[in-house]
Amino acid sequence: MAENIVEVKGLKKHYKDFEAVKGVDLVIKEGEIFGFLGPNGAGKSTTINMLSTIIKPSSGTATINGYDTVKKKNDVRASIGLIFQEQTLDEKLTANENLMLHCKFYNIEKHKREERIQEVLEIVDLTDKRSNIVETFSGGMKRRLEIARGLLHYPKVLFLDEPTVGLDPQTRNHIWEYILKLKEKAGITIFLTTHYMDESEICDRVAVMDNGKLIALDTPEALKNNVGGDIIEISTEDNAKAKKRIEETYNTEVSESDNKTLTFQVNKGSEFLVNFVKEFDISITSVNLRRPTLNDVFLNLTGREIREETMSKRDLAKKQMKRGPH
Amino acid sequence: MEGVIAIWQRDVIKFFRDRARLIGSFAMPFMFLILFGSGMSGAMSSMIGGAESAGPLADFDFVEFMFPGIIGMTVFNTAIFSAMSVVQDREFGYMREILVSPMSRVSIAIGKVLGGSTVALFQGLMMLIFVPFIGVTITFSMVLQLIPVMFLVAFALSAIGLLIATTLKTSQGFQMVIQILIFPMLFLSGALFPLSGMPTWMNFLVKINPLTYSVDMFKKIILQPEQMAPALREAMGLNLSVFNHVITFSEEVIVVSLLSVIFIVLATVRFSKSEA
Ligand SMILES: Nc1ncnc2c1ncn2[C@@H]1O[C@H](COP(=O)(O)OP(=O)(O)OP(=O)(O)O)[C@@H](O)[C@H]1O
Ligand SMILES: [Mg+2]
Repeated sequence: MAENIVEVKGLKKHYKDFEAVKGVDLVIKEGEIFGFLGPNGAGKSTTINMLSTIIKPSSGTATINGYDTVKKKNDVRASIGLIFQEQTLDEKLTANENLMLHCKFYNIEKHKREERIQEVLEIVDLTDKRSNIVETFSGGMKRRLEIARGLLHYPKVLFLDEPTVGLDPQTRNHIWEYILKLKEKAGITIFLTTHYMDESEICDRVAVMDNGKLIALDTPEALKNNVGGDIIEISTEDNAKAKKRIEETYNTEVSESDNKTLTFQVNKGSEFLVNFVKEFDISITSVNLRRPTLNDVFLNLTGREIREETMSKRDLAKKQMKRGPH
Repeated sequence: MEGVIAIWQRDVIKFFRDRARLIGSFAMPFMFLILFGSGMSGAMSSMIGGAESAGPLADFDFVEFMFPGIIGMTVFNTAIFSAMSVVQDREFGYMREILVSPMSRVSIAIGKVLGGSTVALFQGLMMLIFVPFIGVTITFSMVLQLIPVMFLVAFALSAIGLLIATTLKTSQGFQMVIQILIFPMLFLSGALFPLSGMPTWMNFLVKINPLTYSVDMFKKIILQPEQMAPALREAMGLNLSVFNHVITFSEEVIVVSLLSVIFIVLATVRFSKSEA
């Protein structure tokens, strides 16, 4: 039992006649970093919210740490830490007060509180901000404080719903460092969602979600290998003509993004490239060879890219409202 | 149990930290007591006392009359509005932190109501700052009596507030509903002017209004009606009676306690069913 810390069978959620999650099955082993990757509206948060007892599944079951998420809500709650997509700190209180309240909510014994608070603040590098009011924190600091808070009660599973959304790249990197540190130090299981490709590459396994369904589930490496070969990106003086020429000569599918770059897959990229550049008769302005990323995986699976820009205006507004200062 | 205390503590800490709210909470009572009360007192005295400058009714002092009502008003407002923190916690996301913890929903609801009651009790006690300026005498034993009564009344009102808060999504909506609810309840409670010679329908509304009995408890403690001339007592509307039975202080305590129990149960049940 203890080996599979999370077990999900046929989990579904519908809102009226709209099916947000259309049947998810998965098993997560203790100590794994498990990633949920998918575009906006894929159903990632809805799945996390069902697993963490926030909303009730329409059908299907899930167990966490051996406890059913519907029948044993309180045991599940005590076993998990949760960092929500939206901010959930009390900004009028200090960092210490936020953490202390959490200790009390989770019934952490009095004599352990001080030590725990120091410990988690150290993990996220906020020790010197302990008595500051959260309102005065930057977005990244707030996020780190939320992560610290989620760790206070030593959860078996830590859920992170888009832990780095809205943060600058540097802060994002920091947060990932903390998360990796966590895995090493505390050995907890981490379940995270993201729509940044590079972020899901630190996961042990990744599930790709689209339209409420899991369309792939494997290690990042295996997913990338499925794409088949390396990725070549070129731009030329006449992309339309070049596209046709490549497709005819090399029998591969070429996709074009923003009218500038042509992308296609080949085996043994570096050898291919040497000959290609020599032989190709349309003048090439730039060329790039790279290993496939999870973005290519997603593109391959769905024919669409995962990008911030694909976010609809409404979603963006919603996100800003939730993240914005109160 | 610890959860109840934690929820309670958070609201109390935040109350004392919010200076603007603390100071602002004096504005309404100040206006009512000093501007409205003093302004009206001449007219009120001659209306009630009549032309005669002697006799028992000449003792009528409107500001003094209003004082228990103003304390009541402060306690009601603070207590019922305190439930707004539930709506705001939902809006600002903190409610999720609370709801995903292993605390029982019942502890959360009770913690919230206790927090609101405590804050309202403090606000009510703070109104005693006005005492030196308006010429009422408040003894130490009156304060000792006031504390539990204020807390009881505040508890009932906080529970009503929580019940409303669990059904509403936005703080604007909550504010509107409370505003619409609290004003008629205040006017029909005898807090701001003596209720006498009302039409039957109004009399009925007054008698089913829980605030009537709450205000009357404050009046009984502060104004000491049993030491007044009967005519003055009558004029000040201090002989609250239902079906010709003059209501006693203990009966009022029982009525408000019963209401507290009913509303805390309703509010807790509703709150337990709400999702984050
Ligand atoms: N309470 C609700 N009522 C109706 N529809 C909802 C509700 N919550 C979510 N949905 C819908 O369910 C779908 C999945 O939403 P969800 O928040 O799980 O997406 P997500 O994968 O987390 O997206 P994002 O990357 O934007 O966070 C969306 O189409 C959303 O509009
Ligand atoms: Mg989401």
